[in-house]
Amino acid sequence: MTTANPSHGLLAGRLLVCLGPGGVGKTTVSAALALGAALAGRQVDVMTVDPAPRLLDALGLGAVDAAEPRVVPLDGLADVAQVADLAGLFDLADAASAESSNVVELAAARARAGGVGGARRRPARRAGRLRALRLDPKRTFDAIVARHAPSPAAADAIMQNRIYRNLSQALAGVGDYMAMERLLELSEQPATDLVVLDTPPAREALDFLDAPRRLLDLLNSRAVTLLGGGMRRGFSVVDLAARAVLSAFDRLTGLHLLGDVQAFVRSFDGMYAGFAERAARVQQLLIAGDTAVVVVTTAEPERTAQAHEFLAALSTAGIEPRAVIVNRTLPATVSAAQVARAALAPALRRKLERAAEDFAALHQREAAAIVSLRAGLPAGLKLLAVPDLGHEPAELADLARLGRSLAIL
Amino acid sequence: MALARLILVTGKGGTGKSAVAAALALCLARRRPTLLVDLDQRMWAARMLGLESSDNPRDNSDDAAAHDKGAAAIARPGAIANLETISLSAGTELEAFIERIVPIKAIARRMLQSRTFGYVSAALPGLEAFLMLERLRIVAGRAALEDRYVVVDAPATGSAIELLSVPGALKQIAPLGTLNRLAANVESFLADASRFAVLLTLTPQELALREALEASDVLRGRLSVSVAAAALNCVPPPLFSRREIDELDAPGADRRFACLAQWRAGAGRFAARTRREASRAGLRVVELPMLFSPAMGRAELEELSRALDARLFPPNSGKSGKSGKSGKPPTSAGSAGSANVAKSAGAARPAKSARSARSERPE
Repeated sequence: MTTANPSHGLLAGRLLVCLGPGGVGKTTVSAALALGAALAGRQVDVMTVDPAPRLLDALGLGAVDAAEPRVVPLDGLADVAQVADLAGLFDLADAASAESSNVVELAAARARAGGVGGARRRPARRAGRLRALRLDPKRTFDAIVARHAPSPAAADAIMQNRIYRNLSQALAGVGDYMAMERLLELSEQPATDLVVLDTPPAREALDFLDAPRRLLDLLNSRAVTLLGGGMRRGFSVVDLAARAVLSAFDRLTGLHLLGDVQAFVRSFDGMYAGFAERAARVQQLLIAGDTAVVVVTTAEPERTAQAHEFLAALSTAGIEPRAVIVNRTLPATVSAAQVARAALAPALRRKLERAAEDFAALHQREAAAIVSLRAGLPAGLKLLAVPDLGHEPAELADLARLGRSLAIL
Repeated sequence: MALARLILVTGKGGTGKSAVAAALALCLARRRPTLLVDLDQRMWAARMLGLESSDNPRDNSDDAAAHDKGAAAIARPGAIANLETISLSAGTELEAFIERIVPIKAIARRMLQSRTFGYVSAALPGLEAFLMLERLRIVAGRAALEDRYVVVDAPATGSAIELLSVPGALKQIAPLGTLNRLAANVESFLADASRFAVLLTLTPQELALREALEASDVLRGRLSVSVAAAALNCVPPPLFSRREIDELDAPGADRRFACLAQWRAGAGRFAARTRREASRAGLRVVELPMLFSPAMGRAELEELSRALDARLFPPNSGKSGKSGKSGKPPTSAGSAGSANVAKSAGAARPAKSARSARSERPE
């Protein structure tokens, strides 16, 4: 990887957080960036959330219990080709099927010859490492409860709670919070230089970034008292009204649902301090200077509009994103004019012209989306593109190619 | 085949869910008054149709007339005949619920603004989702009285399934009582194919296909929800024959030409595979053409809606049950789209119809 690669600014820090609307390929981009950093010599951990089966296979997480980090082999990936245009995609497919072993050997030979530089602040020859893991919110939550609970009996009580069992994943962004927890663990490992974090699909950027605060608010809330216990002194008319609603709700349900919520929240009583302390550390981590936040999107009007919403939310939260990455951009190809000059049978040439025009129309649609994305971006915010491979990334080489092909728009 | 009163459109992100919902609403509005419902405040489907919603439903909450309907359910007449759009949100449904329970309006309002209340509603996330579904049940009931269609532009598959799972989860939490009865009501609404069905959107891509198949399993199995069809979106019209691609791939020829043709043909081939697999899973596949236009606006949605119309209401649909030979494409298919719809008359036939569909293709 050369210093000209635009990803450098993103991969040199300690933490890279990929945010973005659902369906834009956040997980793929996270994995490709992490792989790129590892190939540049860094010790990288990438945490994926809900990856596609083929991506899991590519990362070696397919059949195994992937809640713990697993080492991803990097052999032969150092010199994959950049994806420049449509023809390049097909060349790759041909090379892969015809002489894959030769390609790998060639790449390995080039790597030995010193074709691969290191990341800026690292010794050039240091071997990189990539580990991947998959977030399991329920298991992470269980582990935290077990760790922080004052006694095994208390931990048991929480895990047996009806609310915990049925709703713990939906509860106040628990999934998001668990991603944060895991992040903290990973970032504290001395053997890791960079943690790349893929985030759960969210409608709003702050769903994720706000998760620790929301969970803490809930655990520390006066609602606990209101829900089932006696009233404290100094309650207000609002509290009275809340209580009226809550008891109306309990009457309506004919159950002690709210009692359960209260028991659930109360069972965290002794654990609040531990949670609060960790949440504060996560918040620190997110705004640290060596943390890079990127927003991933695709060049479609709905997604670019959402990307703008994410950026606005980040700016409100005082977080300065490092880049916007447009995933699945169309590769370049021949124009209809070029086809028109070709020596082809007239019927075939007309068809090819039509195909080129169709492709150009899609390019035009994409260009318009990128123009609207660019409009209003803060000055200095990088706009980067990752090309569409024409298929789901099925192997590490695909991810390496995507990482290599990251280009400034 | 009769369509359900309310059709909820969902699919993997990026499969054109909102566009398909908008096109479906256009298509149905040509037959009967139709209501397009958006489940978040962005109203993307309505915006694509040029029905800008500058008035936020929340702004109308002072309106006494609106009060009883629930704050968000204010129909907004659009510029398209027979088509109205509304936006529902969990927040406004919750407000409406609180305002129902707390008789004194000032107190209800102050409560909704209090942080304490925020914590409580955060502790009961199923409640908001449940109130949304309850609202959809009421909207569908009203639409039945007025003989209207309802199209819902729902969130992406994962969230949509979470939403539809809420009544079942609530029933488990509340095995008795009023909430249980309400949840059972909503559940039977969702399971009634004449009142509620899902339209899954997908594109000719591996992940979209997987997600649609998995969603269909969960919907039909665990949730007992009927899946009206799978809308296979973005199918490129076939252009090159195999022979032509070989011709372009001849030694000495410009490689970029062959690649362009292969790219086009490859997408077509995967579309055929997608159609086969979806049909094999017992899904009725409704194909929509890839529109090679520089923008996706009202005109393009009209084109998609005509394609949908031809496939959902084929001219000979009176003789239902006869299928398998999709020899003649519906004549009203105005688009350049590949005109075959793999009609799945149950799971037994589709393989054949997919084959015959393929043999018609130039490739």
